[in-house]
Amino acid sequence: MSLRVEAEADLAFILEDEVYGFGYSITVTDPDGSVGDLTGFSNDISQVIDPDTGQAVSGRLASAALRISSLTAAGLALPVGIADTTGKPWLIQFDDINGNPFTFKVSQSNPDRALGVVICLLELYVP
Amino acid sequence: MIPALINKRDNFEVIRDEIAAILVLESANQQELAAADPSKDSNDWKLRVFTERSNPWEQFLNKQDDKSPLVNVWYDNSNFDPTASNAVERQKSETVFNIDCYGYGVSSDVPAGGHKAGDQEAALTVQRAVKLVRNILMAGEYTYLGLRGTVWSRWPQSITVFQPEIEGRQIQQVVGARLALRVEFNEFSPQVQAVELELVSVDVKRAEDGEIVAEADYEYPL
Repeated sequence: MSLRVEAEADLAFILEDEVYGFGYSITVTDPDGSVGDLTGFSNDISQVIDPDTGQAVSGRLASAALRISSLTAAGLALPVGIADTTGKPWLIQFDDINGNPFTFKVSQSNPDRALGVVICLLELYVP
Repeated sequence: MIPALINKRDNFEVIRDEIAAILVLESANQQELAAADPSKDSNDWKLRVFTERSNPWEQFLNKQDDKSPLVNVWYDNSNFDPTASNAVERQKSETVFNIDCYGYGVSSDVPAGGHKAGDQEAALTVQRAVKLVRNILMAGEYTYLGLRGTVWSRWPQSITVFQPEIEGRQIQQVVGARLALRVEFNEFSPQVQAVELELVSVDVKRAEDGEIVAEADYEYPL
């Protein structure tokens, strides 16, 4: 078996292991309303950003990493940022570690088609 | 040595605080005027004003109850014009106050279809805020920023819009805009206290050859 294929298979342990790994429940909703319950990495952290006014200020950064083959198995395509406001965006929902739910819109997706992972950069969304 | 304690507010401090006070007052007034019109949302005229704060938009970070734009008034720089000043007590100052506006937007669902884009909301919010700030400060009522006799003139030097670094990709959409307001006014500095002469007397005499001779006697403390 190719090492690349093996690496993709290992995502089941690296990304999707909720028992011994950092896998976390993530719900993905596509613009048509199809929902997939997946497991992946989720991040929601504070960091300093520079708005270019000379004052660094606090910001918040959220992202989710998902296995592309799991998305496909759930009947979903690759999430993308939807700029057209006449359509619905891709939505990603997950709880923080204390159980507080958050809904995000996918503002940008960075797929790694070599390894089969997509990293979605997220933006707060009011459903 | 300067005999007195320098315990005064310079005019740049007074003017900075006056700019903030005008914005607070007029924002409240505009909200009241908007509330009288049922077709208007008075929150569109709301500004939250700060002075000399480095991180007022910290408020956008975790609590998003109030999404109205933030305004931070801060002193940037002064240039002194020697041709319109005097070397003793008065320096004409051309000072720039930066009025930074921050607009916050969050993407949201539109039940009828589609969605609102947070980045666009943030841009429109900050543009509305900076428009309001410029209109208030350049209104005829504030030609001298309410400090006639102190302020010579005020002028909006520039408006620049900033976006946070794209690499950050923060989850809140925040756009900043800076109105640089140039204000001309006088600054004053401590002076030597004049000492009263105790006696001044002058005798004016005409000499035989017609020359006028003046003789003055006065005492002063040494």
